[in-house]
Amino acid sequence: MIRKLLPLAHLGMGLMVMGFVSCTKSKNVNEKSLHITVQSRIKGMDPINTGDTYSSTEVARVYEGLLQYHYLKRPYELEPNLAESMPEVSDDGLTYTFKLKKGVMFHDNKCFEGGKGRELTAEDVVFSIMRLADPRNNAIGWWILDGKVVGLNEWRDEQKKLNKTNYSAKVEGLKAVDKYTVQFKLTEEFPQFLYALPMSYTMIVAKEAVDFYGEEFLNNPVGTGPFMTDTFTQSTKIVYKKNPKYRKEVYPSEGMPEDKEKGLLDDAGKTLPLAEKIVVHIQPESQPRWLAFEKGKTDFLTIPKDNFQSVVTPGKTITDAYAKKGIELQINPDLDVTYISFNHENELFKNNVKLKQAMSLAYNNVRANELFYNNRGILAQTPIPPGIQGYDKNYVNPYMAYDLEKAKKLLAEAGYPKGKGLPVITYDTASSTVQRQMGEYFKKQMAEIGINVDVVTNTWPQLTEKVHKRKTMTYGMAWLGDYPDAENFLQLLYGPNSSPGPNGSNFNDPGFNKLFKKATKMQPSPERAKLYMEMAQKYSEKVPWILGVHRTSFVVKHGWLKNYKFSTFNYGNSKYFDVDLEVKKKNIEKL
Amino acid sequence: MSATWSYILRRALYLIPVLLGVCFLIFVLFNVVAGDPAALLLGKHASASQIEEVREQLGLNQPLYMQYFDVVKSAFTFDFGRSWATKQQISSMIAQGAIPSLAVTLPGFFLATVVSILLSVVVAYYRGKGIDLFIRILTIGMMSISSLVYIMVFQWLFAFKLGLFEISGFEFGFPEVMPYISLPIIIWVVLSLGPDVRFYRTLILDEMYQDYVRTARAKGLSEKAILLKHVLRNAMIPILTYTVVQLPFLLLGSILLESFFSIPGLGNMVINALNSSDFPVLKAITVLSAVAYIVFTLVQDVLYTIVDPRVKLN
Repeated sequence: MIRKLLPLAHLGMGLMVMGFVSCTKSKNVNEKSLHITVQSRIKGMDPINTGDTYSSTEVARVYEGLLQYHYLKRPYELEPNLAESMPEVSDDGLTYTFKLKKGVMFHDNKCFEGGKGRELTAEDVVFSIMRLADPRNNAIGWWILDGKVVGLNEWRDEQKKLNKTNYSAKVEGLKAVDKYTVQFKLTEEFPQFLYALPMSYTMIVAKEAVDFYGEEFLNNPVGTGPFMTDTFTQSTKIVYKKNPKYRKEVYPSEGMPEDKEKGLLDDAGKTLPLAEKIVVHIQPESQPRWLAFEKGKTDFLTIPKDNFQSVVTPGKTITDAYAKKGIELQINPDLDVTYISFNHENELFKNNVKLKQAMSLAYNNVRANELFYNNRGILAQTPIPPGIQGYDKNYVNPYMAYDLEKAKKLLAEAGYPKGKGLPVITYDTASSTVQRQMGEYFKKQMAEIGINVDVVTNTWPQLTEKVHKRKTMTYGMAWLGDYPDAENFLQLLYGPNSSPGPNGSNFNDPGFNKLFKKATKMQPSPERAKLYMEMAQKYSEKVPWILGVHRTSFVVKHGWLKNYKFSTFNYGNSKYFDVDLEVKKKNIEKL
Repeated sequence: MSATWSYILRRALYLIPVLLGVCFLIFVLFNVVAGDPAALLLGKHASASQIEEVREQLGLNQPLYMQYFDVVKSAFTFDFGRSWATKQQISSMIAQGAIPSLAVTLPGFFLATVVSILLSVVVAYYRGKGIDLFIRILTIGMMSISSLVYIMVFQWLFAFKLGLFEISGFEFGFPEVMPYISLPIIIWVVLSLGPDVRFYRTLILDEMYQDYVRTARAKGLSEKAILLKHVLRNAMIPILTYTVVQLPFLLLGSILLESFFSIPGLGNMVINALNSSDFPVLKAITVLSAVAYIVFTLVQDVLYTIVDPRVKLN
């Protein structure tokens, strides 16, 4: 028996040796290809169902929306993409009219007659938006327009009664006025509507492709974007090539004052896209992600937590060892906030502001920032993160200080001196190691003023369900902004958005609700900024949440990657990236 | 022969009650433990009305017996439909993932088995001597280290520092795939050696003290001949029992190896499905594993008759 098996064993060993022989040095130093790493498998390439940032980023390499964010300007600013110019808005703020660029072509694909992509028209915009609203698609992105466009919800309800969706029906608020003009009519004033248009959900698809590929449309992306890919498979690598027929778009010539000196304006006026190819590597674990970057196999990377100290000095610059290899560091605030939420449906927290204030005062956020974020978070004082209107860098929330004496006093005033009479408070969290550690930390902090906390770990589905069904007492959460407007953060405390809506705290304060309603109807202005600021500060002092931090992203990139600028909304940004092959050839030797 | 075939047929028919039971179990578990899939699908902006619509579309508002019937139907037709979370066709998800998973687990399993059996024959031969003690201590040592440590250290040392293999990734096609899968295969073998060698050593030593071995020795056979011709042959039955039942699970891949080496296999599929309450995928994996388990135990029975002619299937 053994003798019979031996030749096979030899074969097996032989195959392995072949593995050794192959050279693993990066081979593609003669091709302008970008190597990008992604942490999670991509579900599919249908714009309306890109519920996570990873899929949105991939979809946006192939598809485009009417608008996009200016690549270099901060704070984030909208600019036209498929639209020729910013829309004309009627005086009542309800009607938005867009002129489309002429000569925008869909990718060549067999779904079109003769395999040649045709020109994009206003009808495509109407179709794509109706597709987002189609009840049969149950699109993840429907919330962005739910109740916002005149007649669209009615059309949606109508379709539920039919056997097949009727796309030829007219929707009053969504009109192709002529071949290149499309008009939206809103149900009420909502300036944030424009932020829906660079999002992947509203990117423009071709009806021919949707009909031709049917249920397999999600694996056959046909857009107008700068890059294209053949059939998509849920593998660990996605390869895009440049769209040879991409319309004439050029690299921006304006940016922030520091952009010029960083070389981010060197390519101003050059035709996009600058790279020939994109290879996306899906690497769920942080070690291989880091090692692959260090070897030069990927171009840039958010520094994994465990590598932080070897790469970044206490002064927040890059360490010499990495600087010598031609690696550069970029530090940017992310548009988000972390928090511990109270459930205001729970009798304990419903009307007891002092109890919540006491708990907030007993929570040492400075230490939490050191423990869990390498001290790189910005301590949150209100839900609004820096970089958008409504953030006030001078404001200090009196209940975000760490003050045990004051906490004990407030706890007594709340009716629970030294925690007496207070039931055990549960803290629900997801089950990852760091999240459990955060729970233990919260428990320890509350114990200092005599409050007993029981940490309950959940799978993500269990946690979501508990929050939706209002079954938690407190729970840990983070919110990443969908668009750069304080409305997207303040809506987390708006009463009508209570669970299962995004307001999982079920905070419902008539005063706040009234101000929120008023603010959302205001056009961007200094008055609106002031109102955002005031409501954020006033109601944060009622402690609907124990605030955490606004996280900061630390990105390292190789010197050969040109024009990289971090953005929270990075949809479509790969068209601006370039590879300096001379630098790459030189630097890769040092790695 | 006809007795054999009727045995195989009878065993195949067992599939029916087993599948019904598996369907029942997974259905009950899913309804008791899992979170609401509709809410998870819609993410952070889910509204009550849209959640209700999705529940309706997924068939979650149907009476429970109807839902159970659907589960049974897909188990017997093998038509699992589309994943709730990714909307991908489940049959193609499995087909695309099975090859990369097997590319690592099959050679890994095969090599690990061959090497462990060889090693255990050696230690059985030298039982009680220095080499036996050394290998026993070594295997215990190897088993006490977490698999994560092997993966991280080997990846860092052999792929990153020494550059012998690719750090992570996968290519379809041979030999392009070799630099990507060699290291995971080696790690698989290393991880299996500890428990396997110890197990096979015990099996072989058990045989060494049987009467027939003493008879063989009395007849003057060499120790080598006894070990290779008689003992190993007799140890084959428990070895087969141990190895064949592991085969169906090779299909599911290794979750850790796949995520560290970016191998697009099935390992992560189960985890992702659990994390998104993706019932159709969980159902497909459970049903397929159950079927594979039954099929492989049948194969095992047939193999018994080959290694031991005294065993008859009837």
